[in-house]
Order: sequence, then C-alpha cells, then structure tokens
Amino acid sequence: MPKVDMDMATGTIAVWHVAEGARVEAGAPLFDIETDKAAMEVEAPASGVLRQTQAAGAEVPIGQAVGWIYAPGEADAALLAAGAPADRAGFSSRDGSAGPALDLPQTPPTQPTAMQGSAVGAATDAPSQTPARPRATPAARKAATKAGLALATITGSGPKGRIQRADVAAVAPNPLAEARVAQPPTSPPPQSMLSSSTSPDTAPISGDLPVRYSGAGGRTPFFLLHGFAADAGIWAALDPLLPPGHRRLKLELPGHSAAQVRASSPPMEGFAAMCGQVRAQFDALDVGHVHLVGHSLGGALALALADTRPRQIASLTLLCPAGLGPQINGPVIDGILRARRAESLAPWLRMLVADPETIGWGYVQAAAAARADPGLRAAQAAWAEALFPDGTQAFDLTAALDRLACPTRIIWGRQDQIIPWTHALRAPGRVALHFLDGVGHLPQIEAPEEIAGLLAQVS
Amino acid sequence: MKMDAPAEAALRELSFAEAIREAMDIALAEDPRVVLMGEDIGVYGGAFQVTGDLVRKYGEERVIDTPISELGGAGVAVGAALTGLRPIFEFQFSDFATLAMEQIVNQAAKLRYMLGGAVSVPLVMRFPAGSGTGAAAQHSQSLEAWFAHVPGLKVVQPATPADAKGLLLAALDDPDPVMIFEHKLLYKTKGAVPEGRYTTPIGQAALCREGTDLTIVATSLMVPKALAAASLLAGEGIAAEVIDLRTIRPIDRDTVLASVRKTGRLLCVYEGVKTLGLGAEISAMVAESDAFDFLDAPIIRLGGAESPIPYNPALEKAAVPQQADIEAAARGLARGAV
Repeated sequence: MPKVDMDMATGTIAVWHVAEGARVEAGAPLFDIETDKAAMEVEAPASGVLRQTQAAGAEVPIGQAVGWIYAPGEADAALLAAGAPADRAGFSSRDGSAGPALDLPQTPPTQPTAMQGSAVGAATDAPSQTPARPRATPAARKAATKAGLALATITGSGPKGRIQRADVAAVAPNPLAEARVAQPPTSPPPQSMLSSSTSPDTAPISGDLPVRYSGAGGRTPFFLLHGFAADAGIWAALDPLLPPGHRRLKLELPGHSAAQVRASSPPMEGFAAMCGQVRAQFDALDVGHVHLVGHSLGGALALALADTRPRQIASLTLLCPAGLGPQINGPVIDGILRARRAESLAPWLRMLVADPETIGWGYVQAAAAARADPGLRAAQAAWAEALFPDGTQAFDLTAALDRLACPTRIIWGRQDQIIPWTHALRAPGRVALHFLDGVGHLPQIEAPEEIAGLLAQVS
Repeated sequence: MKMDAPAEAALRELSFAEAIREAMDIALAEDPRVVLMGEDIGVYGGAFQVTGDLVRKYGEERVIDTPISELGGAGVAVGAALTGLRPIFEFQFSDFATLAMEQIVNQAAKLRYMLGGAVSVPLVMRFPAGSGTGAAAQHSQSLEAWFAHVPGLKVVQPATPADAKGLLLAALDDPDPVMIFEHKLLYKTKGAVPEGRYTTPIGQAALCREGTDLTIVATSLMVPKALAAASLLAGEGIAAEVIDLRTIRPIDRDTVLASVRKTGRLLCVYEGVKTLGLGAEISAMVAESDAFDFLDAPIIRLGGAESPIPYNPALEKAAVPQQADIEAAARGLARGAV
C-alpha cells in the first residue's frame, strides 16, 4: 500500500482492476486507492500473474503488501511452499523467492490460515482472501465457457472489476484479428492526401471496416480516424513524422472505401450507427490501450469511442473535430459529394486548407479518381444526409467531452472554413487547446510537424 | 408493422382523446350491442372530454350516465356484458376503480372460468390514469399492475393515438374483459391515425426505435419520454432500442427477449410504483429465460417513488421517471458504469 497522501496511515482498496490469478502488464492499472481525501490509481510495478492478498474494500496500513505479482514459473513454487505442511515456513520461503512483488516493505501475514498443512493446501495461495467466484456478467460467463477460458484468467473492465463480454472477446482466440495484426506494414505511404485507394497497406477484410497499418514497435499504438469524404490516406503526410516505436492503425469509416461499400448494405441510421460500427471494429481489433486521434467527423467518433471505452484510451487528440457545435459548411460538403470531375472538385478541396496552393492539380486529380466509384459517392451522400441534415451537425458530443478523464487535446486551424474553431471553446478547462495560425481544416496536411510534435508529447 | 390497418387508409392528425372517441363512434355505429357507461360521460362529455358529444349522436340509451357509485356502475356493466351487450365502461379517474374491485376481480375475471366456458364477459373498461395534472394522491395513481396481476383480465396501455384507437377496437372484439389504461397527459398529444376500422393486436409490443447498445422497455407516457431520450443519446453515439410494450397482460415476451439478446442491456421504465411492479415482472422474465445469458450488465428499473403522488408540482415530477432520468440511466448502462 503506497503512501499517496501526506498524512495517510491506511488506504482502502476501492477496486482491483486485475482479477485474482489474471496476468498483468507493468504499467497497467492495478488497483484504486481511496484515502480520506483522494482516490487514485496504482499501476502494476511488474509484469506477471497477480495474486491478491487483500480483497477490494479492505483497509490496509501503508507499506503492507496487498498482493504479489509472480513472474512465469515462480507462482507454482511459491504456491507449493505456501501450502507445505511446515507451519510458517511457507511464508518465509515465499518472501525469499518471490520476484517482483510490489516494491514496498513486506509485512508477513500474522495469522495462520486454515488451509495450512492440509493436503489440498497447495491449491490455495495461503494468506489470500480469494473471492470464491469471479465477478462476471452472464454474457461474459457464456462467452468464456464457449471459448474454453477460465474466468479467473480474464481481467474485468467493468465496475468492481466485473468481467464483461468484451473482456472475454479480448482474450479469446480471434484468428481474424491476429491475421490482421500480422500484416507486415511494408507498403509505401499512399500518394494522394485525401484518397488512396491504389496502395493500401493492408487489404480490407470483407464486410468489416478496413484498417491500414504502418510503423512497428511495442509502444501504445496510435489509432487514427479520418474525416468525412476522406480515407486513411489523409494521414500520409503525418504518418512518417509520428514518434517511432508505435504502430499506427488507420481505420476507414463506414461508406468511405469502395471495398467496404460493396461488401455491406449501408445502414443509414445516422451517427449512432456509424459509432456502433467503429466501436465493433475497435473491439474486434483487440489492441488494448491506444492513443486515439480523430479528425473532423473522425474526431466526433473518437469522442464517442473514448466515452464508451474509457479504460482503453491512453490519450485523445482531436483535430478540427465535429460534434462540438451545430455549424458546418454544408455547401462544401455538397460540392465535394456532387463533384464528378477534377475541375469541379478542386475549388471545394481548396476551401479545406488555409493556403489554396497546398492543394496541387495532381492531388486534385488523384482525389477525383479515388471518388470515381459511383457506389462510394452514393454511400457518402446517404451518410451526409444522415449525419449533416440541412447543413447541420445532427449530433452533439460536448457532454462526452465533459466526462473524459484521459489526457485530451484539441487542435484547430484558425482559418478552418468547414467547422468554426470557436467550437473548441466549449471544452472544459482540463482539455488542452491548440489554435494554429495559417492552418485550415486539414492540420495533419498543412502543419504535420506541429501535429507530430504535439502527439510526441503524449506518447 | 404496428397495426393491421388497411394499407390504403388515409392518415390524419388526431389527438389521443379524439382517436378514442373515433373508435367508440365506429363501434357504436356498426354494432347495436355497444353501449358507453360512466359518470358524466353523457351531456358533460366525460371528465376529460373523451366521449364528447357522442350522446347527441347516439342518445342517452346508448351513452349512459351512471350514478356516483363505481361498484354499482361496474356491476351493471359486468351484467350487461354477460347478457349480450358490449359495454365500454369509463372510470372518471382510475383511482376510483378501487371501489369496483369486487366486480372486476371477483366477477368479470372469474365467471368464464367458474362456469366452465358457458359464458364470457366481453367488457371493456377505460381508466384515465397517471400523474402530472396536479390532482394529488387520490387522482394520480398508476394502478395497472394491480389488474395485470389477475388471471382472466387483459390489460393494455396505449402510448399513441393510433394505438389508442386500434387497441380499443381490438378490446371490443375480445370475448374477455379488457382494461385500458390511458395516461391523462397523453389525451392532448397528437399523432397520425388511420381512418376507418382497424385493430392493434392485444399482446403485441411495438419496436419503436431500433438500436444496438441497450433496450428500453417502456409503457404509456414513458414511451415518448424514452424516445426523446433515445434521440438525444443517439447524438452521443449511443444507440438505444425502444420497445413500447402496449399490452402488459399478456406481455409480448418474444419481442422483449429478442431485443435483450441483441443488446445485452435492459432498462425498464414505467410510472407505476417501482417495487413489485411491471419492471420486476419484465426483469424476472428475462432472468428466467435464455436471454439471461446475453445480459452484460445488471437490469435497471425506473419506476414511481415509494410515495403517494405529491400535490406539490416539483415533488410530483420527482415522484415519477422523467426524460433526464431515462437519459442518465441509459447512458450509465451503455457506458458500462453499472
């Protein structure tokens, strides 16, 4: 029990974030402490299998162990020692052998347990108050049974560490997700900034939302959501500047890739339907923690995702996000949707940026070619009608922004002609605001170095 | 999808009260056995002006003012139904039905069973119910669950003008007693109503809004409140499915269970007192079924407070679920906070 407060003598374990017997990674949330004054989260000091010696709700003096984290191979020996018929020997031997326990003075338990010396004692971690049955929803229990998983091995993300259906899905073997993660991120970045249907990093999976991968490394990945009428190619200029060691997962929204439009009949029920598809794909990808980045409509979707998956969001960065006010430039959206030739598309694309020279003729032609598929254009027109009826943002995420607890920043170009930057002023004081001069609605293209620099701060 | 109305029937905007009156008008016109009975439903037009001027059209023989005795009036209605008429009996306030329980519970609900099917009681009773009018504790209750507890009765709670008309005509077609609970605050609400005769099947819920994140099962006035909450939540990315139960005895089990299997989260919203009420029945129904396996969160019930309905307007509102309560509960469920 760490001392997190000046005059703290004991702390109460409000909730374990990791179930008894489950695997925990160093740095992951381990448990919450409540003191007289504050509540705070304690991170795991090491990776391994958790054995709790104090149950949630217990009041523990500072310095006393609340649990043990066993490295692979360590647990068995320690458990056998604890259960051996040698009165206190089990405890001392474990104190000697257990590797990375919590980095705090360890007070041996003072009372012998009933299990000591019994023939079946080896099955129990002697001094722990192991809950008889893991907390899990009926849906999670059914899913675990189906997948052949023991609930004790699963970390619950629900209230009081309750295991949810999604937690089981996250650890259950998912060949689809593994196949996608295994895709080597070798392809060069796409040529076009708005659209890049010619050189996908990863082939879209039929029926699902396509995900394009780049970068490699074991650090918390970036999860990027593009805006309306764009695709994952919108990140091409920013991608190579992002800090190394983080994989990049670039989702393509419903109705925004020809393959996905062909593979599914588009449900045009509006923002909630699009959110649901994005959330389902996020869950299926099983990426754990992410740095979430969303641009424009993708910003609104990122807010909704962070609101419903708060424990999986390490940080949230919103570029010119939708969802914080009703205004949006309807004529530009209509113009882009109607344009069938480069000549008619160019004037609208140039309104997306502060300096029209940013959008060259080659770029316009590539964007027009990518939008040639009539099915894709029809799908986007239908989504536009559902999302932005009468040139209005028909959804409002300000309440979600108020609820967020993760580090959050909003970045906006002061010359944005699509969504007014003043919408950012609705953010609560906790949220960092960055207003860039000489930048319009595409900061990741107009000012990629600045954006990469800001993202390097959170990663 | 909601009713078996003729497809070509024209729709007009009618209020909930007008839709009920139109249903009674159709029934009086096409079936000489139909009579209306109740206190002040004739010349006065009914306490909530639902019967209106029907007495001028059909006369005092068929639109009958009864004395101020609910037990007496209900007894006459049960006897009339037994002997071949099709009475529609109106209580001035549903609260006063407590005076008539003997006739409803011990006679109307039991006679077909006790006489081996030799008779039936084709009786329709209408109950203006619910709070929100400042009429205080003895004129504001939601007692529908009392009646739904009695085998032999059917109990419906329309939430829209179209269902108010369709369920009343379906109740008249039914050979057994049907209790219709009409929320007083719904009487002036408007909605599209098909012309002519059609029925809304008793025992069939309506899926008013599809969603994937949670199921809201609501009745009566709570249906429009739940729908308003659901559209607001949709703007936050939460897709709530809203079911209007329409009939609470017999409950449309299949519709509720199918939705819970889909969403894994259930919120029950009803105005009657929460404890031992409709939400308890729906929750138990889910818990006893295979839909239990699909629950990914505890079930939440929003119902009336453990209190008589207060006269003070602020307290009166606080005593029953409001739209903000539904929003907060649904948001908590969808976000995994409960």
